[in-house]
Amino acid sequence: DRQTLVAVLQFLRRSNLRESEEILRREARLLGDDLGAAALSPAGAGLLGAPGGDADSGGEALLSRVTAAAAIAIGGSVATVASSSPGVAAVAAVPPGKGEPRAGAAVGSHCMFASSFGMSYKLLLYPNAFAVGGGVVVEDQPDVSAVLSAYNQQGDPTLYEEYYSGLKHFIECSLDCHRAELSQLFYPLFVHMYLELVYNQHESEAKSFFERFHGDQECYYQDDLRVLSSLTKKEHMKGNETMLDFRTSKFVLRISRDSYQLLKRHLQEKQNNQIWNIVQEHLYIDIFDGMPRSKQQIDAMVGSLAGEAKREANKAKVFFGLLKEPEFDVPLDDEDEEGENEEGKPKKKKPKKDSVGSKSKKQDPNAPPQNRIPLPELKDSDKLDKVMNMKEAARRVRLGPECLPSICFYTFLNAYQGLTAVDITDDSSMIVGGFADSTVRVWSVTPKKLRSVKTAADLSLIDKESDDVLERIMDEKTASELKILYGHSGPVYGTSFSPDRNYLLSCSEDGTVRLWSLQTFTCLVGYKGHNYPVWDTQFSPYGYYFVSGGHDRVARLWATDHYQPLRIFAGHLADVTCTRFHPNSNYIATGSADRTVRLWDVLNGNCVRIFTGHKGPIHSLAFSPNGRFLATGATDGRVLLWDIGHGLMVGELKGHTDTVYALRFSRDGEILASGSMDNTVRLWDAVKAFEDLETDDFTTATGHINLPENSQDLLLGTYMTKSTPVVHLHFTRRNLLLAAGAYSSQ
Amino acid sequence: MEPAKMASPKSAPKDAQVMAQILKDMGITEYEPRVINQMLEFAYRYVTTILEDAKIYSSHAKKSSVDADDVRLAIQCRTDQSFTSPPPRDFLLDIARQKNQTPLPLIKPYSGPRLPPDRYCLTAPNYRLKSLQKKVASSAGRITVPRLSVGAVSSRPSTPTLGTPSAQTVSVSAKVGTPVSLTGQRFTVQIPSSQAAVKSATPTTPTVQNVLINPSLIGPKNILITTNVVSSQNTSNESNPLKRKHEDDDDYDNL
Repeated sequence: DRQTLVAVLQFLRRSNLRESEEILRREARLLGDDLGAAALSPAGAGLLGAPGGDADSGGEALLSRVTAAAAIAIGGSVATVASSSPGVAAVAAVPPGKGEPRAGAAVGSHCMFASSFGMSYKLLLYPNAFAVGGGVVVEDQPDVSAVLSAYNQQGDPTLYEEYYSGLKHFIECSLDCHRAELSQLFYPLFVHMYLELVYNQHESEAKSFFERFHGDQECYYQDDLRVLSSLTKKEHMKGNETMLDFRTSKFVLRISRDSYQLLKRHLQEKQNNQIWNIVQEHLYIDIFDGMPRSKQQIDAMVGSLAGEAKREANKAKVFFGLLKEPEFDVPLDDEDEEGENEEGKPKKKKPKKDSVGSKSKKQDPNAPPQNRIPLPELKDSDKLDKVMNMKEAARRVRLGPECLPSICFYTFLNAYQGLTAVDITDDSSMIVGGFADSTVRVWSVTPKKLRSVKTAADLSLIDKESDDVLERIMDEKTASELKILYGHSGPVYGTSFSPDRNYLLSCSEDGTVRLWSLQTFTCLVGYKGHNYPVWDTQFSPYGYYFVSGGHDRVARLWATDHYQPLRIFAGHLADVTCTRFHPNSNYIATGSADRTVRLWDVLNGNCVRIFTGHKGPIHSLAFSPNGRFLATGATDGRVLLWDIGHGLMVGELKGHTDTVYALRFSRDGEILASGSMDNTVRLWDAVKAFEDLETDDFTTATGHINLPENSQDLLLGTYMTKSTPVVHLHFTRRNLLLAAGAYSSQ
Repeated sequence: MEPAKMASPKSAPKDAQVMAQILKDMGITEYEPRVINQMLEFAYRYVTTILEDAKIYSSHAKKSSVDADDVRLAIQCRTDQSFTSPPPRDFLLDIARQKNQTPLPLIKPYSGPRLPPDRYCLTAPNYRLKSLQKKVASSAGRITVPRLSVGAVSSRPSTPTLGTPSAQTVSVSAKVGTPVSLTGQRFTVQIPSSQAAVKSATPTTPTVQNVLINPSLIGPKNILITTNVVSSQNTSNESNPLKRKHEDDDDYDNL
């Protein structure tokens, strides 16, 4: 960049454009070395292109586009300049029009902005390519230049405190019913004003502004404010992706029409244009007609980094029903039943049909079509597995408030706080632990040991025609209860068994997701895509697909036979910390450190639901077995329940005092179990929580809920471990609850 | 682990106190005591790197002293190198849009384990055997390269071959001063012949005649001793495959 600047200056000197050169120099210092250089590189590109001739039109087009974009914010004078003669003349014309320093600054800042986004393109040195890249950026973000120019406006910095306290006074004096809603304004306004002061390098004013008003904000924003307090210089803002996203995305507020009118009138009558500008540019006010909300209702829904969700974000149709199970006859050979009949159909019992499949022949309107997304076909081993599943389901204990599950806790000893991930197979035969020393350890929970397939040399010696060939291929000599898998080069943060128990996935801080074979206990594939720590991964309930989410703020959908992801789910403002498949495998829920939960459609990658309400990063998600509801747990200790179809919060379970790391519904959905860092497992009555839902028109239209304070009624039991945080929960097929955690001695 | 014990104010150096204060300001209340050391190390290393770079830049610009611009440039250059941050949001949205436009690929039925093409898997062998050097099969009377090879049981798939050599009488000549190299689990003692071995010849010293394989040797040390006869062309037909096997192993050992 520096070299480009030097080259441009030399060129100008050569062409005797003294004036332009001086102005460029001045702008370079105005914006800072690095920024100015980047700002000038498109200008330089235009200039260099002019004599070069080939990039001429590109440079001119770029300049005109850039200035056109800036003109939106500034106003017509520059545009007329841009439409004049090519390259050099255009640049020469810009400096005279530089009478308002803002024009150049806006152009410069826009280019800086473009360059910061184009950083990954690395196109700054290529005029042609940059013209294209710059063009793309301009078209995608037409309001970005407006955002930046707003940040560039030098409202009097010393008056910021006056503006803010004036607004504060007004809101506190307003009517009770409006006050709660208007108080939502405080936080986004505070952050944006602070960032504006920092960006324009008024450090001392920013600091005193922060000191004065940060205590007024809601308690659940304290973590954000702490991060904000460390951003005191403009350079600090550049490296922080979350803050950059916060700056550019609009904070959504839901305010009733009456309150909004009140606010608008007040802001427009006083000379509070600064605040009005910020409100217009950085905030998105979703107005609804109806009663203003109470503080309690608002508190339940706010907390995320970008405010609440717009109503239309939750309006898309979601197919939350389950896919139909294929029907087939269950072969009967129950050992406890007396008299195995040779014919295969005992006269005493009727053949059991799959209860799910045969009940309704009609298509469930809420279920996705069978072939909406391609799913792997059922193999024979899968069919056998399903048969086993159904047999176990017949012996399942029906849970309820009178019949609570027994809990079997697996404690990992000597893990020294290194246990970072746990998973249990569906039939509860194996348990895997991912550790901070980058190993993945698989244990067998049943007395049957873990066996791997024999080596190729041994396999050539066995009799391939014998009936028990599947037993013979297993190596008895190396059978053990524990198998350790080495391969990752960083702590393993997520593990997941495949439904057919052939594969194991693990994701780690080294940025890869590894597929391990559970038949040879070796690593098969390393999927590289995230270049940053991957926090969670999960196999689809039908196998073949899996999802992973990581520090790069996206979740990716993979298939085991593609080395690149099939879908990328981008939209979160901060790391994706938790990823789960819906039981019908058509949707993926992701929880993030930006305190929202999003539901994505696998078919086209769209975000179909945004759920806000948590006050901390989300660490656990669980879909109910019928696919209609989602339970989420976060660091704030609350478990929130959501209705997927309507996109509403339907329940809030308070009780845990620390992060909820594990959530699981029982097999028929009657009980929700939650495990937390506060060393307890709590059982909640899910049937009661989901009955009597108010889903009248007003609620669905406005998204406002009235949550009953019934956490105590729903709590069925609290079970404490001595000093073991609960990391994983699993209901066996017969509804026994298994829990896992690592003993920590403090 | 014990909860963090702060060093008492008067004994901790000033830098450590500052670092502890920074951690407190950022809201971190529980940390192991060594964290302060690590943070101080990082801070020291980072600052010295930046300042050294800044000195280089300022001397390049022929300035008399380092000023803020040099430091700023040094920081900027180092940031791109050492601290990468995830891609910006609009870039992610862009590539997501591109990726999500392609429909989901259909799944081929009955295709065995569904894995990516082999070059993207980790299933290839990560070793390669060194190619054979064909030993010239010389005429009779000169062949004998009898060897005594010792190996652990588990690595020897040729366990069943124990039976055959023991039936034969072998003649083994020991080489004086052979370095026995223990590589991994097995080691080979190379015993070049000094003379032709015949079935019932009376060899000169130092040779051992008629060594019978004693199966009891296997038990205690878990070391299997197999002796393969590579002798005259009388037995060459049946022992040639054995010979080749040990040639391989021998070369492999020498790598």
